[in-house]
Amino acid sequence: MTFHDGFLSEMIGRTAVVGTAPHQRTVGRIADFVVEHPDDTFPKIDALVIKSKSGKHLAPIGSIVDFDANGKLVLRDEPTLATPPDDEALYLVEDLFDKQIVDVDGRKVVRINDIEVARTGGALRVVAADIGFGGIVRRLGGGSLGRALTDKLPRTLIAWDNVAPLHDLNPTQIQLSVSDSRLARLHPSDLAEIIGDLSARDAARVVGSLDDEAAADALEHLDAETQRSIIDDLGAERAADIIEEMDADDAADLLGDLPEEHQERLLREMDAATAEDLRELVAYDENTAGGLMTTDYMWIYPHRTVAATIAKIRELAPETEFIYYLYVTDQSEKLLGVLSLRTLLLSAPDDLIQTVMETDLVSVHPGVKSTDVASTIARYDLLACPVLDDDGRMLGIVTVDDAIDAIIPERLKKQLPRFTKQHRRESFEQV
Amino acid sequence: MNPRRLWRRALLLFAVLGPGFVTASAGNDVGGIATYSAAGAKFGYIVLWTLVPLTISLIVVQEMAGRMGAVTGQGLAGLIRENFGIRLTFMAMAALFFINTGITATEFAGIAAWAQIFHLSRYIIIPLATVVVFLLVLRLSNKLVERVFVVFSLIYLSYVISGIEAHPDWGAVVHGTLVPTFSAETGFLVTVVGLIGTTISPYMQFFLQSAVVDKGSGPRDLWNVRADIIVGSILGIAIAGFMIIANAATIHHVAVINHKPPLNIDTAQAVDFARALEPLAGNFAAALFGFGILNAGLFTATVLPLATAFIICEAFGLEAAVDRRWHEAPFFYGLFASGIVLGAGLVLLLPADKLFQFTFYAQVMQGGVLPLELVLMLIIINRKRVMGAYVNTPVVNAIAWATAIVIGGLAIVYVAQSIFGSS
Repeated sequence: MTFHDGFLSEMIGRTAVVGTAPHQRTVGRIADFVVEHPDDTFPKIDALVIKSKSGKHLAPIGSIVDFDANGKLVLRDEPTLATPPDDEALYLVEDLFDKQIVDVDGRKVVRINDIEVARTGGALRVVAADIGFGGIVRRLGGGSLGRALTDKLPRTLIAWDNVAPLHDLNPTQIQLSVSDSRLARLHPSDLAEIIGDLSARDAARVVGSLDDEAAADALEHLDAETQRSIIDDLGAERAADIIEEMDADDAADLLGDLPEEHQERLLREMDAATAEDLRELVAYDENTAGGLMTTDYMWIYPHRTVAATIAKIRELAPETEFIYYLYVTDQSEKLLGVLSLRTLLLSAPDDLIQTVMETDLVSVHPGVKSTDVASTIARYDLLACPVLDDDGRMLGIVTVDDAIDAIIPERLKKQLPRFTKQHRRESFEQV
Repeated sequence: MNPRRLWRRALLLFAVLGPGFVTASAGNDVGGIATYSAAGAKFGYIVLWTLVPLTISLIVVQEMAGRMGAVTGQGLAGLIRENFGIRLTFMAMAALFFINTGITATEFAGIAAWAQIFHLSRYIIIPLATVVVFLLVLRLSNKLVERVFVVFSLIYLSYVISGIEAHPDWGAVVHGTLVPTFSAETGFLVTVVGLIGTTISPYMQFFLQSAVVDKGSGPRDLWNVRADIIVGSILGIAIAGFMIIANAATIHHVAVINHKPPLNIDTAQAVDFARALEPLAGNFAAALFGFGILNAGLFTATVLPLATAFIICEAFGLEAAVDRRWHEAPFFYGLFASGIVLGAGLVLLLPADKLFQFTFYAQVMQGGVLPLELVLMLIIINRKRVMGAYVNTPVVNAIAWATAIVIGGLAIVYVAQSIFGSS
């Protein structure tokens, strides 16, 4: 083998020597690998830790010649006594072997069995984590039998740019150490699934490391108990910021589960308008239209033109989740008609809203059971259903995705298929 | 109320039961029935006192497992891997697989005993039971299966009733419970190690910790976790106590008044212990006893290989879930299937009249392994880096270390005795 590529487990424990053949002197054994900039996509190995009876020594990568014919690592210079570890530095074996990481591509929490390195761009770099059975056999030193066995097995490697370590690599570092952006890149529901697999402490830390919006998206997909424990761990101020970014109906559900005083503390941290909306929503039973609805919808006046309305959507759309239906109301918020985005786009710019809107309205009362709301939405093929009070005033809308969530049993949701495994295996067969 | 709704109610009631209760129910398995019965039948009330320190140790040890699960969000196998590296983990997992397969075999031995009582051939019943276990796990919801078995565990209450109906000498019961007595008789030491091994089985800590993690309990749920563990442990041991009393008041009592030698563990048969249920069930005692061990055997034979496969896959970070296909989780299904098939196969290979001895000595082996597990748990749980503010208090440390040292000492003395033949 050469000191160019391979698995760390195959290098650990090998004898390190200084000098050439007749005058070789043993200085110790390879124990660990030091990376000074772990945040790089494929981090460079900067030094080897050589362990001997007199302690741990550092051999800079530049001082390494190669493995000789006997499999010994030949060094050009004597390794220096190890300095106290740098806060930033990562010790691959000590810090990462056997630890849990998030496989960003496969979307799950796995364990590192081995690490693959390769020489690219003039440096020895960490390229992949081995999470499979092959890595275990190699670590256990299976010998030739083990090698024959591992060659037959499918390789289960995760490219390093898809690896996100979970634990603080160094107790003095407070933040999640490797680029949170790798986690932020996940779909919120996948991220939520990973968070659900973590301990309360890690879950709060991962959510805390995301920006408010990403954290809110992930939180929306978590079950009530996990949400609550994360909110508790984050502290009122940060929690309030995140809840503000959540869909109003999800935020209200979350708040509804908290004790009154805790709820108040969070609401006080929010801006007045959001807090006011949420206070109204919290009052409804979770399993009714009122509990499912969001106040985040688009409303317009009937005497506007189509062109003016489209301009208004452009202006408001970035802040509104649901823009596919527009609700036409009078000044007392009484619902007059509904307009789909499709109708709007197909109408002449000068048409007035009241001439193109649908006035044959389907709506529900806030006290209607969630299953009945779902059947209403299904029967009329709606994307959302308005919720009106006794006087016909708009209170909010229930969207089709929230209606589905409300009627699928919790147990079934967990069994919904995930399409990640196959995808990953294929991407590695190409490598 | 119509029976259907009553049934649903009962299931709902058990739905709120936590991991502690389920673990305690799984703990009163075939090996438990065998060991408690043998202890009561051979020594009478004087072994009852061992249950008192055992209760304390069981609660302390299980609380440690529950706390580690709630704080770290990882199972015990995962923590061993992170704290001790891959070699020790490999050895620990190999040992766990070996022992759990042995315990699975004892569960099938219980099913074989049921077959014997009903004059059915074990060569038909055991393969059939193997198929049933596979179907239960692969076709039904795990939680549902668990709850149904826990409901059926109510059959253990027959030991409570039978123990009372047998009109034991309550003075002797109280004396036996409160005053530690050692017997010089052959087999006392091995019985005590067996009692420890079956009450605090090594697999139960893995099982409980994973269940706590699975339930999503965090540090703020710790008191709920603890309450569940305490209630589950006390109920489990109370039932064990009544098994001992029922056997002491019948089999042991009869031997004493007839001046016959007490039961010989090395020749006893499972069926012999059915007599402990005669005060309750009369002629149906054997049938009742048979259904008791059938339920216990099927329950643990279902739960244990599955839990073992999960735990080992957790340690090695391999794919593990019942809802995956075979080719997606080959190691998981491989471990699960080999655990069941090896366990069932072992029972078919052993001679029928040695199944009870096999079951009994498997518990003794569990008692011998327990100290090693406790040492690993104690090292991990005292690391601030892992547990933060939730490391062990000195009192818990003292009890847990004392448990490990006493059991380790007893096991060593027993092994020395067997080798040098002083007994």
